[in-house]
Amino acid sequence: MSTANNSNLLSPELLARLERLEIVTRKVFRGRMKGERRSKRKGQSVEFADFRNYVAGDDLRLLDWNLYARLDKLIIKLFLEEEDLHFYTLIDASMSMGFGEPTKLEYAKQLAAALSFVGLIRADRVRIETLGQSPSERGPVLRGRASVWRMLEQIGAIEPGRQASLAEGVKNFCLRNPGRGVVVLISDLMDKDGFETALRYFVSHQVDCYVIQVLSQEELEPDVKGDLKLVDCEDQDEAEVSVSAPLLARYKQTLDAFVGSAQDFCTRRGMHYLLTNNQLPVEELVAKHLRRRGLVR
Amino acid sequence: MDTLFRNTLGPYGWILLGMIPPAIFALYFLKLKRMPLEVPSTYLWHRVIEDLHVNSLWQRLRKSLLLFLQLLIVGLAMLALLRPGWLGQSLEGRRFIFLIDHSASMSTTDAAGGQSRLHEAKQHVAQLIDQLDSDMSAMIISFAEQPDVVQEFTNNRRLLRESLDRIEPTAGRTDLSGALSLADGFANPARVMSEEDGTEFEVTQQEQVELYIFSDGRFRGVEGFSLGNLEPVFLPVGTFDANNLAITALNTRRNEDRPELHQAFVQIANLSEQLQTTVVELYLSGRLIDAAEMELPAGDVMGATFNLGDVGSGTLRAVLDPAAKVGDSLALDNTAHAVLEDRRGGRVLFITPGNAALESALETDRARRLAMVKKEAPDFLETVAYQQQSQAELYDLIIFDQCAPKSMPPANTLFIGRLPPDAAWQKRAIQEPVSTPQIIDWQRSHPLLNLVELGNVQLIDSLLTQPPLGGKVLIDTTLGPIFAVAPRDSYEDAVLGFEIVGRNSAGQRTVNTNWPRRHSFPNFCLNILEYLAGGSLLPHTQSHRPDKPVELQIASLATELEVELPDGTRTTLPMASPGRLAFHETDQLGVYTVLEGQEVLRRFAVNLFDREESDVRLHVRQEGEEGVLEVDEISIGYVDVRAQSPTTSVRRELWKCLLLGALAVLVMEWYIYNRRVYI
Repeated sequence: MSTANNSNLLSPELLARLERLEIVTRKVFRGRMKGERRSKRKGQSVEFADFRNYVAGDDLRLLDWNLYARLDKLIIKLFLEEEDLHFYTLIDASMSMGFGEPTKLEYAKQLAAALSFVGLIRADRVRIETLGQSPSERGPVLRGRASVWRMLEQIGAIEPGRQASLAEGVKNFCLRNPGRGVVVLISDLMDKDGFETALRYFVSHQVDCYVIQVLSQEELEPDVKGDLKLVDCEDQDEAEVSVSAPLLARYKQTLDAFVGSAQDFCTRRGMHYLLTNNQLPVEELVAKHLRRRGLVR
Repeated sequence: MDTLFRNTLGPYGWILLGMIPPAIFALYFLKLKRMPLEVPSTYLWHRVIEDLHVNSLWQRLRKSLLLFLQLLIVGLAMLALLRPGWLGQSLEGRRFIFLIDHSASMSTTDAAGGQSRLHEAKQHVAQLIDQLDSDMSAMIISFAEQPDVVQEFTNNRRLLRESLDRIEPTAGRTDLSGALSLADGFANPARVMSEEDGTEFEVTQQEQVELYIFSDGRFRGVEGFSLGNLEPVFLPVGTFDANNLAITALNTRRNEDRPELHQAFVQIANLSEQLQTTVVELYLSGRLIDAAEMELPAGDVMGATFNLGDVGSGTLRAVLDPAAKVGDSLALDNTAHAVLEDRRGGRVLFITPGNAALESALETDRARRLAMVKKEAPDFLETVAYQQQSQAELYDLIIFDQCAPKSMPPANTLFIGRLPPDAAWQKRAIQEPVSTPQIIDWQRSHPLLNLVELGNVQLIDSLLTQPPLGGKVLIDTTLGPIFAVAPRDSYEDAVLGFEIVGRNSAGQRTVNTNWPRRHSFPNFCLNILEYLAGGSLLPHTQSHRPDKPVELQIASLATELEVELPDGTRTTLPMASPGRLAFHETDQLGVYTVLEGQEVLRRFAVNLFDREESDVRLHVRQEGEEGVLEVDEISIGYVDVRAQSPTTSVRRELWKCLLLGALAVLVMEWYIYNRRVYI
């Protein structure tokens, strides 16, 4: 706990609330190590799963002796296996995330830290990645409460400025991480090539995917006036606009359509979508909205 | 001249103006300095712009809307400077004379919107004035009874318009010839008559002058006039179907049988194509005294006689009330005025060296009722007072007994025993008297010899009175006429050839006749007073024409008299000569009153009474295609001037609308710029 206190990513109050939460997935995945979650595998846990006839070679320790006494048959008692869960946080650290007060990246990091913390204390395998990072920069898989400080350190080191398209980053991520699990993508989805290709990789990867779109207040309700030359911070693309009431109305329409299309796209493909802005406190987002969405419990 | 555009700027002006649109272009593209602003992503913005670019041409136009508006303003201004217009065929030439008829018929209200013809003509002239270029000059002459130069040649259009506004309708008749000679004087100023052979020649090269005549053509052509440099254009004003009912005469007279009774006679003309019914109302001094309903067939003239009774003096007014359905487009001739003069006692000057019989006959009560007789001795004829009084027409009758004046006075006269100094009497007379003529016949029917029996009258000697042409012998004797009357101007002279009493060469009083002892003598004296001293009423009741000078004989010695016009204003006039007043301001219709102090000396009426002016229909010339009505041409000298339609010469200009449009666009641009309104 003491390590977490040192970071400004997670406040003690937030940590206190997060202690009680756990990451939920509606899908059951196979884990890698013994953990706290039910697995598809039968194994050794206290939770009964099924009976089956004994076959030669089975562990004799699993025989139900009571049944044998009653029925004079060798029946093996199967238990559910409990395994850990892969929990991936994929942060978009492009230049565009460096806007807003707090910046969208800051907000994304805070959110990632909170969710990773929840994963760590529930003994899940937590991996934090940014879009467009090279394989050498890849951080380790974190597990257990003891890794909280490393997790915070890793997140704290993320800086905006990686130039990678959304699709490319997601593709690389999927290639690098074959394990099934829960993926939380925190991004503004503002990619000139569109977000659809990127999200399709998740679909094919069969992960339980959460898309959290973070937009700054300036993007939701732009406060601009006059004749402007808008410069894209990533590719220096320019757009000349003369701001007028109809133009702003049209912007709002376009934004709504954009958000709507993302939500629609995700919903159709069994993904979860959540739009948030950087003014909403992370505590509220996690404890209220994500809980309602079923990411945490 | 008849092009669609008229240039108003010189080449330098156009060069300057032509530089404005490129300047606007340049300024517009240099103007927009967009503030760079870094945003997370232009992804959405591009989509927004793309959305707005769907109708790209329209969007582009919308983006540079202000530019287009500015160019539009400049374009409109340039177009306005070109003065686009159409139908502009008229006004070729450099000098113009506008002749505007403002006679009585031009007050006809048959123009559009119930306006008068004069108003319409003035509008046409105003439109022509608007088309004058700076190198053109024009003058305006109005004409009715008399021509009037309203404005001399000028190229100042404002002055021309102001002068045009000053033209007022009159009640005069139309006389184009005066206006033409005026115009001729201005147009051909340097024409000189050679004294040797009487031919005209021109000293300088003359310029053509366009003569625009605006009239309804209520006149006959002008004869014996050479147009010279004048190029006439006749633009008729009015319509063919204008209807009018007019009073063309209002007379008063005394009943022939009973002279104290008055009669009024009203003549009404129906100058339209339809049967009209009308009511004539007769007012005496503002009081309705009689009315008559009349039905007049188209183009007919009817009269109505009103018996007024013994009404004394006053002003008579006849008012026409036409039925509304046909309409009456000229109001001037619906009212007529006349003056009724009361029968007043005659004033008689009796000049005699002494004549007891005649004096006593003129001093009876009955004679006094008829006339006031003033007696003077013959040497009064030599005094200045006689000259003045006779010139002032103080007397209706002057009786010269045994004497004669040097010249005939302006009054009725009775000469007794002398012949008038008038040459007409003198040359036919035999100067020597004849002795004892026997009366054989006398004109019993003549008012002077009414109830006079002369069969028992004897004479000693007498002059023979041969009246001049137009005269009448009243008493004839065996030796020749001894009593005759003859008219002289508006007077009548009666000459009795024999003296009643006389003096012989020794200066003793002699009696020449026994007539004073007969009953017929006082009767004859009364007849003299009644006929010669009381018949001065006729000339007063006549009507005068508007705009014609009125010459009045007024029994007054004052040097200044006041005249009250029909509208109530008063003017003071000096007497031209004793007893004569010349009055010129007869432009109003109605009754004029001549006053000396507060005393009414005379009244006279001015009426239109002109059938030619009252007939307000345009002269029709029917020719060629059937049923097409054309206004008849007017002939000036040997030139027939065809009527042209005044409407064709109107140039309608657009520049005012264009400038207003430019102003509206400017306001719109300002609003769009300030409010950032986008369509």
